[in-house]
Amino acid sequence: MDRPRRTPGLSSLSSSRIASSQYASHGASLRNQSEQSLSTQLEVFQSLLHNFAVTHAKDIRANPAFRAEFARMCSALGVDFLASSHHREKGKDGGSGSIWAQMLGSSVNDFYFNLGVLIVEECRATRAENGGLISVAEIRQRIQRGRGIGGGMEVSDDDITRAVESLSPLGSCFSIMKIGHRSLIRSVPKELNTDQSTVLEAIQVLGYVTVSMLQLNLSWDRPRAVAVVEDLMADSLVWVDTQAGENEYWSPAYMSGPATGNG
Amino acid sequence: MTMATDSSTPNSDFQFPPLYNFPPFFTLQPVLATRKSQLQSWSSLIQSYCRHHRLWTLTLVDALETPLFNNTKLSRRLSLRDARAIIDWMTTPEGDSRAEWIPTTGKKPSRSDEYSEAGKCWIYWKRPEEWASALEEWVDRTGQKGTVLTLYEITEGDATRREEFWGMDSTLLAKSLAVCVKRGKAQVFGAEGSEGVKFF
Repeated sequence: MDRPRRTPGLSSLSSSRIASSQYASHGASLRNQSEQSLSTQLEVFQSLLHNFAVTHAKDIRANPAFRAEFARMCSALGVDFLASSHHREKGKDGGSGSIWAQMLGSSVNDFYFNLGVLIVEECRATRAENGGLISVAEIRQRIQRGRGIGGGMEVSDDDITRAVESLSPLGSCFSIMKIGHRSLIRSVPKELNTDQSTVLEAIQVLGYVTVSMLQLNLSWDRPRAVAVVEDLMADSLVWVDTQAGENEYWSPAYMSGPATGNG
Repeated sequence: MTMATDSSTPNSDFQFPPLYNFPPFFTLQPVLATRKSQLQSWSSLIQSYCRHHRLWTLTLVDALETPLFNNTKLSRRLSLRDARAIIDWMTTPEGDSRAEWIPTTGKKPSRSDEYSEAGKCWIYWKRPEEWASALEEWVDRTGQKGTVLTLYEITEGDATRREEFWGMDSTLLAKSLAVCVKRGKAQVFGAEGSEGVKFF
């Protein structure tokens, strides 16, 4: 703060005090103003979002593409409507609940939790077959097909990813992992080592691998290649096909992959 | 590779499950956990295939040439040994008793490898006791309690054309009716070849 001119004498004391108090009050009023404008902006934004959510609640629930866009918009704004629903219990005594539970009648949250339950069921049902590794696309097909009467719902890969993420409070059991360009849901608390991931990635590209393919392409020693596929096989992550000359190893996680079609 | 000409391929084509296009499905898996799930999948495939084609029995040697066990598109097929292992598993309580070996000779061998190479077996997409219930339900539904029915009209008659048991193998029908009799729900009488049955 540069004072333009220093007044001589006692009066300089009082004038500097007046100046600083005026700075302070002006600062306070500025802060007040910006606070007010911010809170009005927030109110406007909230009411707009509220209106949007209310008018489109049905679409959000029914249309997977719309839901994905809505979720994307929310995450761009830094709003996690799944996380906010965890505060629903607290909201009971506060009287308000999460804004999302209020806006969407909690049905969108519930949608993801229900989907989460379905995913857990499917993962458990297929665990013996695929060793607890299943592609997101496969899960989506299974859920869309449905099992019970009246089952089957429209979901997108994005919904499934989100639902799996919403399972994270349950511990590390369920997670999404990327192998190559495909997302897989891992439902066993097992970490794959680099060799295993490499092999699964190769299987995804080629459909299957053989020991000699691994030796040739990755310049692994034979024992190393054998050990990796045997490990994967012991965990039901790959199945062996002995009818092709050299044993071929296929992953059931990619069953709905390139080699589909009806027999 | 010759495709066996199957006389019993009616109406629409059978929809194979995705596993059918998965080449290792045709090799029994050495890992126990995987193998168990594979056996389960084979069992349900065999059952739904037989249900679709209304097959009551399978003769393994012949069945190995049919699309059920031979995927010509993948050029993968189940070996006789593996097919036998699957049927063996299906006969166990763990396999839900969905199959039963049919002895070719008079004596009753205890293990499947004592059977002739042909390996003929029942595939129970419904077990005799389930067929018994289906028959009882049908008699009840059509109000035929107390009426004498011939075995021929149950399996070949026009009235039952829409029922699942239409065209049923006569031995299996006899087995199922025996269950009804045991339950006290029916009485079978008449000479061999012209038996009748009365439900009550």
